[in-house]
Amino acid sequence: MDPLTVLLVVALSALSTILYIFIGILPGTDETATMAPVALTLLLAGVDPLLVLVWFTASIAAFKMADSIPVALAGIPGGVMAVPQVPDALTAKEHGLADTILRKGIASSVVGQFVALAVCLSLSYYLMPAGEWLRTADEVLGVKVARWFWLILAGLLVLALMSRSRVAALATIPSFALLVQGLRGVYGRPVFISLFLGITIGPMLFELLSMLHRDLRQAYARRGAKEVRLLRVGRISLNPLRILDREELAHSALWSAATSVLAAVMSPVGLTILIGDLIRGSVRDRVRGAVLAYTVRDAIKNATYIGGILIPLLVIGVPTGPMAAGPAAPFFHKLESLGATPRDYIVSRYDYPTIAVALLAATAIAFLVAYPILVRYSRRLTVAVFRRVPAEALYGLFIAIVIMLSYYDAKVAGIFGTLVVSLVSGALWRLGVSLGVLFMALVAAPTLVALLTALPL
Amino acid sequence: MDEDVHYELYGEYVSLRELGVSTLICTAFAMLFYFAAPAVAEALDLQVTGISITLGAAGAALGFAVSMLVTKVKRVVVEV
Repeated sequence: MDPLTVLLVVALSALSTILYIFIGILPGTDETATMAPVALTLLLAGVDPLLVLVWFTASIAAFKMADSIPVALAGIPGGVMAVPQVPDALTAKEHGLADTILRKGIASSVVGQFVALAVCLSLSYYLMPAGEWLRTADEVLGVKVARWFWLILAGLLVLALMSRSRVAALATIPSFALLVQGLRGVYGRPVFISLFLGITIGPMLFELLSMLHRDLRQAYARRGAKEVRLLRVGRISLNPLRILDREELAHSALWSAATSVLAAVMSPVGLTILIGDLIRGSVRDRVRGAVLAYTVRDAIKNATYIGGILIPLLVIGVPTGPMAAGPAAPFFHKLESLGATPRDYIVSRYDYPTIAVALLAATAIAFLVAYPILVRYSRRLTVAVFRRVPAEALYGLFIAIVIMLSYYDAKVAGIFGTLVVSLVSGALWRLGVSLGVLFMALVAAPTLVALLTALPL
Repeated sequence: MDEDVHYELYGEYVSLRELGVSTLICTAFAMLFYFAAPAVAEALDLQVTGISITLGAAGAALGFAVSMLVTKVKRVVVEV
């Protein structure tokens, strides 16, 4: 790595960390909606994909550390991944342990991300030769099908079965694939960005359009301002080793290692709920169980995001899980300016040690910046963000970026295509279909539709 | 429309009028900067694709800053 690249790694990691601390604290900031468009914009702007990956890794560290802060202080999740921590936080807060879970969450995030990086980088190094085998195509019903497709299909089925509405989720897979391929046929080229962004903003746009309907609007109506009750916290030590006890450290490290690998094909939210609930249920003391579950869930959030991108990126080469097909999707789709996918560019242009060092450096810088800020100023930051950033301005920004990128993808038709996809996605999400199913169906769509139309039925 | 009535979106209370204004401002700035990119790229001798997205994102960010001035926060923080 030349000195300029080193400087850029440091600068981008620090910048990404500061930006995502604020985004993480803000309520209602969905990970895919906030991480993917920024990464995509940087890639399209011509930033080296490895540097964008560095940015992305630092953003995971900061976002997943910061999104549980409003949970601990106010019971409000800063992002989708922090939602499973709300019941633990409420139990802990009832017993005056808000500052305890706040500091334990921050410390276990550090543990989760470093353990996941160590496990995934080591495992990927040994599994890399399997990537070639997975990318080999076999002929099925006269259609060339890459072997990784079966991995995606298996992940899709698991995710659909884990959705709140299993039947709807299973029925959605071929239907949504047909919608996507139909739009691509109309556009005349295999667009990805506008379709992906359509899914991303689907829930928000569906709710928003529901509010424009006179009869439905009343269900969303609220009078006055939203009251946010913030608890006071005591002074917290800067030494993370004094924050976690042995049991918390062991659970955080063990489950981070296991879930980082599972996230290559499984849902990070699903794993955070599953493991956290198992731990909470296994401890007899209700308060102790809540604190332990909250702490481990924070580690799992970072670990699943790291594993969810690294294993598909370094080994498989295609987005096989909801994390890779969602927030990390921009790395897996061909960019005209590069003539390849950012993923292929990274693994062909940089050797393994360079990638590993860059990602470890991004994580170390992110935590060096975020940890002291969050430990010392988390409450003041939360108050400032809650008091000064209007939700309307933030949502307006997201919508504007989606409109611009949809136009970039397929001109005016792209904007309306995004609208169709987002309305369908939002409606399906309301019916209990996980957005991960839609993201993965988008990736699997070309092969899935080719196989559907080739069926001798 | 009753000024005191807001709508809950993603756990936040929003004014539909302010959300519309903010979206309009951010989109207008983003697209204005996006379409200005070819002229900027020619002046700076850069690739249009990259700079159009960068400028568009910068425009959206500028729109966000302007929107913060014309929209109001609808949260009341109570420190307990």
